[in-house]
Amino acid sequence: MTYLAGLGAAVLAALASLGRFTLFTADTAVNTVRPPFYGTAFARALVQIGYFSLPVVGLTALFTGGALALQIYAGGSRFSAEAVVPQIVAIGMVRELGPVLVGLMIAARVTSSIAAELATMKVTEQIDALRTLSTNPTQYLTVPRVLAATLVMPCLVAVGDTIGIFGGYLVSTIRLDFNPTSYIQNTVTFLEIRDILSSLAKGAVFGAIAALVGCYFGLRSDRGAMGVGKATKGAVVAASVLILAANFFLTEAFFSA
Amino acid sequence: MIDVMGLHKAMGGKPVLQGVDLRVTKGESCVIIGGSGAGKSVLIKCILGLLEPDQGRITIDGVPRTAAFMDRIGMLFQGGALFDSLPVWQNVAFKRLRGPERAGAKDLAIRKLKEVGLTPDVADAYPAELSGGMQKRVGLARAIAEDPNVLFFDEPTTGLDPIMASTINALIRRIVTERGATAITITHDMTSVDVIADKVAMLHDGKVHWHGTRTDMLTSDDPHLTQFRAGSAEGPIQPQW
Repeated sequence: MTYLAGLGAAVLAALASLGRFTLFTADTAVNTVRPPFYGTAFARALVQIGYFSLPVVGLTALFTGGALALQIYAGGSRFSAEAVVPQIVAIGMVRELGPVLVGLMIAARVTSSIAAELATMKVTEQIDALRTLSTNPTQYLTVPRVLAATLVMPCLVAVGDTIGIFGGYLVSTIRLDFNPTSYIQNTVTFLEIRDILSSLAKGAVFGAIAALVGCYFGLRSDRGAMGVGKATKGAVVAASVLILAANFFLTEAFFSA
Repeated sequence: MIDVMGLHKAMGGKPVLQGVDLRVTKGESCVIIGGSGAGKSVLIKCILGLLEPDQGRITIDGVPRTAAFMDRIGMLFQGGALFDSLPVWQNVAFKRLRGPERAGAKDLAIRKLKEVGLTPDVADAYPAELSGGMQKRVGLARAIAEDPNVLFFDEPTTGLDPIMASTINALIRRIVTERGATAITITHDMTSVDVIADKVAMLHDGKVHWHGTRTDMLTSDDPHLTQFRAGSAEGPIQPQW
C-alpha cells in the first residue's frame, strides 16, 4: 500500500507540474501579444542565445557531420553502398541530427543560463522588485527570451545543418577520396524542401521549449544556492527530455506519410 | 491610509500571520518590529500584493488595493534587489527606460542619486561594483525616483556598519518628512525605530501584539516590548530556531 501511495503521489505531482507548466506557457503566449514589448531585452536575448551560441553549435555540428560520414562509409561498405555517404549525411543532419544536437546544445547552454539567472533574481528579490516597479516579470523576462529563442533557433539549426554537411564533406573528400563536385551535387539534389522546412520548424519548437523551461524553473526556484542549483539542473534535464520527445512527434508529423 | 484587517497568511503550511490588524494613516511613518520569523516581511509583501493573503482585507484609502497601487509606491528591499544586468542609472530610472521619457531618464537618476548622497560618477557603474551601503542608497534612490506617496523599507540597515546605518536612517527620516509620504518600515534595529518611527507596531505570534506612538513605546511596560527593546534573551519572546 505504501508503494502504491508513493506511486500515486508521484503521478499527481507530475500532473500538477505539467498543469503549472501549461498555465505558464499560456500566460507567456498571452503576454507575447500584449503590450508593452521590451525591445532592448529582446535584442539582448537574441545576441545571447543566437550569436554567442554559434561556436558551440558550429563545433558540435562539424564533428558530428564528420563522424557521420565515417560511420555511413564503414556501414555502407558492408554491402557496397559507400556512394550514399553524401545523401545520408545530408538527410541525417538536416532531418534529425542538426535540429536535435543544436536543441540539446541550446538546452545545455541557454536553458541552464536562463534558469540560473532568473533563479538568482528570484532569490535576491529582483523579481519582487520588478513587480513593485509596475513591471510584469513575464513580459520583461520570459517573453523576450522565449521569442528570441524561437526566432533565432531556426537560424542556428540552419547553420548547424550546413556546418554538419560541411564536416561530412571534409571527411569524405579528404579521408575517403570522394569527388568534391559530385559530393556537393549529390547533397543538393537529394535534399527536399520538406527536409529543410522540418529542420527549421523543429528548431523553432526546440528554441521555444529551451527558453520556456529555463524561465519556468528559474521563476519557480526555491531559496538559497541549493534552490538555484536545483532549478538549473531540473531545467536542463526537463528541456532535454522535452526536446527529444518533441522531436519524435515532429518527425512523426512531417514524415510518417 | 493603509488598512489591514484580519490578515491571515500561511507559508509552506505553517501559519505566519494569524489575524493582523493595522492602520497606517496618511503621512505617518509606521515601523513594524518583531523577532525573526514573526512575519514582518510576509506582512509587507501582502500589503504590496506580492503575496496573496489567505484571509482578510487590505484597503488603500478605503478601497481594495488595485494594480495601480504599484504606481504610487516605492520600495527599498533588504538586499537592495538591484538589477545586476543594468547600470546604476537604469536601476534608478527603471520606469523611464522605455518610450519618450527615456531621454530624461539619466538626468533624473543622477538627481535622485545626489538626493541620497551619491555622486554622478556612480551612475554608470554596475551594482556588483558598489559596496553594500552604496547599494542601499541606490535602492533608496530607486524607491523615491517617481516621487511616490507611499514608501516601504524592508530592513533598511541590515548588514551595514553603524555609521552607514545611521546615515541611511537619517536619509529615510528626511525623505519621509520632506515628502509627507506614508511610510512602512520593518526592522530589528531599535536605532532605526528611534529615528524613523512616528508609530510602532510589534508583531508577535502572527498578530500585532502592541502598537502605539514612539513616545508610548518608551514608557510602555509591556514585557514583550521591553524584552525586544532591551535585546534580552530572557522574557516571553522565545527565539525561533
